[in-house]
Amino acid sequence: MPTVLQNIFRFVLLVLFQVLVLNNIQFLGYINPYLYILFILALPVQMPRWFLLVLAFIIGLTIDIFSNTIGMHAFATVFVAFLRDGIIKLFTNIEEGNNPTPSFHTFGVSAYVKYIVVMVLIHHATLFILEAFSFAHFWLMLVKILISSLITIMLILGIQSIKTR
Amino acid sequence: MRVFIENFCSKTSFLLAVSSIMKNLINFLIQYSVVFLFLFLEVISFTLIVKNQEYQKSVFLSSSNSMVSGMYEWSNSIVEFFKLRAANDNLSEENTALKNQIINLQNKLSTLKPETSDSVHFRVPPEMEYQFISAKVINSSTNKLQNYITLNKGAIDGIKADMGVISDEGVVGIVKIVSKKFSVVIPILNPKSDISCKFKRNNYSGGLIWSGEDYRYGNLTDIARHVELALGDTIITSGFTSSFPEGIPVGYIEDFKIKESDAYYKIKVKLAVNFRTLSHVKVINYLNFQEQKELEKKSEEQ
Repeated sequence: MPTVLQNIFRFVLLVLFQVLVLNNIQFLGYINPYLYILFILALPVQMPRWFLLVLAFIIGLTIDIFSNTIGMHAFATVFVAFLRDGIIKLFTNIEEGNNPTPSFHTFGVSAYVKYIVVMVLIHHATLFILEAFSFAHFWLMLVKILISSLITIMLILGIQSIKTR
Repeated sequence: MRVFIENFCSKTSFLLAVSSIMKNLINFLIQYSVVFLFLFLEVISFTLIVKNQEYQKSVFLSSSNSMVSGMYEWSNSIVEFFKLRAANDNLSEENTALKNQIINLQNKLSTLKPETSDSVHFRVPPEMEYQFISAKVINSSTNKLQNYITLNKGAIDGIKADMGVISDEGVVGIVKIVSKKFSVVIPILNPKSDISCKFKRNNYSGGLIWSGEDYRYGNLTDIARHVELALGDTIITSGFTSSFPEGIPVGYIEDFKIKESDAYYKIKVKLAVNFRTLSHVKVINYLNFQEQKELEKKSEEQ
């Protein structure tokens, strides 16, 4: 069961990194990357969908408890986890019976980049819209979504490119 | 007999129909179980968000929670080491300021002292009876639209909701909720905070509201156009709320604008406190809070 252990390890590592390091990065007052979403993105493709949703809820709520935003991260992660299968099917054609973990190697570079970009954008948009809870700060919110997503995407792609080597 | 058989047949066919409907229903539920789970989880999260907005924070499931706070305290003990230098500088500055104040007060006292000590009844004015409870910031944010600060002191240290929080530099915010050992503060950097301020120069008062963008600046509202302003004017607390005594610095005027058609100024205030390096704060315990509140309530009732 190396994948299970690997994912538990990844869960703990990402939560700690998010809470202790990334939540304290406040560059220019706008940027708050949410790298922990990599946990959902890197789970095996054929994972049962209900289990994926439950895991997403757990990691979202964990981050929520640490950052005083009860429900917001949980909502965003569950939403992204629900859309994940559809988005994977949209960009790749993985054969029945195969169960790869998403990476540059298994998806191919362009498909993987598209997958990461779409998922991170959806997640960050949901999250920041929930945070504002209104459209009063619309432009500020839009800038936050775009810049934070960009940083998260770069971090994820960077980590993955180091790992595959 | 025939009637009986017909009756029986119709009953069985009815049962069959019901069972097939049930089967379809179960199939349907299984087929869309993931969707239902998805909706269920989203409804839970959304309820949590909405509830949380209503009650500000539930003490459980927020960073007042002891396990989470314990971890933050641990991480903070490491980070704090790197902030020691700045904190020390601040402390020594405050020390010298206090010493100067002591000398001033001693001088004043010596000039005011009556020849015979029994003739004058000397008393501190009741609105000035304050106590400070020192506390440490163990979690804070400055980059969200709604920021919060967690302190490492709670109900057992005498902290209650609605107490004001200041640092050496100026006003930080107001205590919102308190657990046994921790408390959560709504700082100026939160749209829910509205702190009553005035100009040190001419006592005109207004409310300070955060713009949501930059942790260094806030906006002062309700200043009418006939008021004279200058860049760099000091803004202090008005003392109209029981959370803060009068005269604690809030910020300085960075910029102000007024259009021909406007009745009120748009004033940009540079906040006195640097929320990014905040580590030691004082919680203000106003000793006559209860008495004042009760009196004011009584007058409203009559």
